Amino acid sequence: MKQKSRTFAAVDFLYICMMVLPFVFAIVLKILTKPASEGISITGAQVYIRIPMPIQELVITEAQINSWMVMIVILGLCLYLTHGITAKGGSKRQIAAEWIVEACEKMVCGNMGEYFRGFSPFIAAILGLSALSSLSSLLGLFPPTSDVNITAGWAILVFVLITYYKLKCGFGMYVKGLCSPIAMTPLNVIGEIATPISMAFRHYGNVLSGSVIGVLIATGLQGLSHIVLGWLPGFLGEFPFLQVGLPAILSLYFDLFSGVLQAYIFAMLTMLYVSGGFDIEEYERRKRKKRKQDEKQLSISN
Amino acid sequence: MSLEVISVNFWQIVISLLNLTIMFLILKKFLFKPVKKVVADRQAAVDAQYENAAKAEESAKENKAMWEEKLASAKEEADTIIKSASENAARRGDEIVAEAKEKADGIIRRAESEAELERKKATDGMKREIADVSARLSEKLLEREIKTEDHRKLIDSFINEIGDGDDGNK
Repeated sequence: MKQKSRTFAAVDFLYICMMVLPFVFAIVLKILTKPASEGISITGAQVYIRIPMPIQELVITEAQINSWMVMIVILGLCLYLTHGITAKGGSKRQIAAEWIVEACEKMVCGNMGEYFRGFSPFIAAILGLSALSSLSSLLGLFPPTSDVNITAGWAILVFVLITYYKLKCGFGMYVKGLCSPIAMTPLNVIGEIATPISMAFRHYGNVLSGSVIGVLIATGLQGLSHIVLGWLPGFLGEFPFLQVGLPAILSLYFDLFSGVLQAYIFAMLTMLYVSGGFDIEEYERRKRKKRKQDEKQLSISN
Repeated sequence: MSLEVISVNFWQIVISLLNLTIMFLILKKFLFKPVKKVVADRQAAVDAQYENAAKAEESAKENKAMWEEKLASAKEEADTIIKSASENAARRGDEIVAEAKEKADGIIRRAESEAELERKKATDGMKREIADVSARLSEKLLEREIKTEDHRKLIDSFINEIGDGDDGNK
């Protein structure tokens, strides 16, 4: 029994390491590779490796590395939460795991309908990946969601899903939906394509704007500090006192609240678009019709 | 070296797309599947318990009915046993009393007959005595030897006559 509990604790420790070490690794990597920059600059993600590939060269950037780290952290969290759960239950982590699963399923079923219950892990993946990516900026890391490529990848996957579910009701229905008033066809097509682009840019823009505003305010406060407190003698005149405190409060909004809110919005839009493009009644009707036809054919062949 | 603020890179988009897919699979396999399995197990256990409880209640009800029936029959049986036992006892008592009465009657009868025999014997003894005495008396009276044996019969009949006369008087 004691041996078992010791191995249990060891595995737990491993999972906790899995939750903490990726972020530590990302921070160390950033400290080691970040060139000392003079002044304020707003740039994209830092590039670590460039690999020549067809179409375009593949760049492994801070954003990619950080999103992989976030994925490892989420995997560690999942393993930790489901480690040693039993049907009897009772442990705190099991309550947490069940709460997460139930909350996701409730949200998905409430927004998309019972048919899409299998979508809950996908929505949970969007929520977890997006929120943790945005929150990683609290650790001083480059938030992967402020790279347009990352959010564009997610948005394109969502677009594929939307189109898949629209086509599930039949290709004719899909085309008919696009050309419902004939004159509006080009607009409808543009609207269809605009969905993933707007989703990608909404998320990316919100997170990036948070960082930009943070940097701008920090710079502005430095200048203000120089003007207002510049008369103080020696070192005191140089020190930007006004930079203490206020940027932290703004970061609380832009990094914490806005990051989580954008994750929620992205997940919500995914649910609404996917379930909105899928006419469940039409689908059921077609399925019944098809089954009837199959039965008829079967009876004829018999 | 950094990228521009907006720089679209095809491979990065692909990688990000795959990342989200992998994340979905990870969450499905490592969080949703085990948790749902556990919840389903719990539901099954709860269902089984409820079923067991219902079954137990049913069997308890059955048992109760059975035991009540058994109790009633046992009471009946006990009643019949007691009745038959008391009947037996009464009969046996009667028998014993009858036997005892018979025995007592036998004893009384035997005693009576014995007494009668005794009386007869005594009467016989007395008769003989009287005969002897009378023989001796008559011997004395007649001054001569009378052969007791010779006259016994005569005397006996005489005495019998007297006795009979006595008996007749009685």
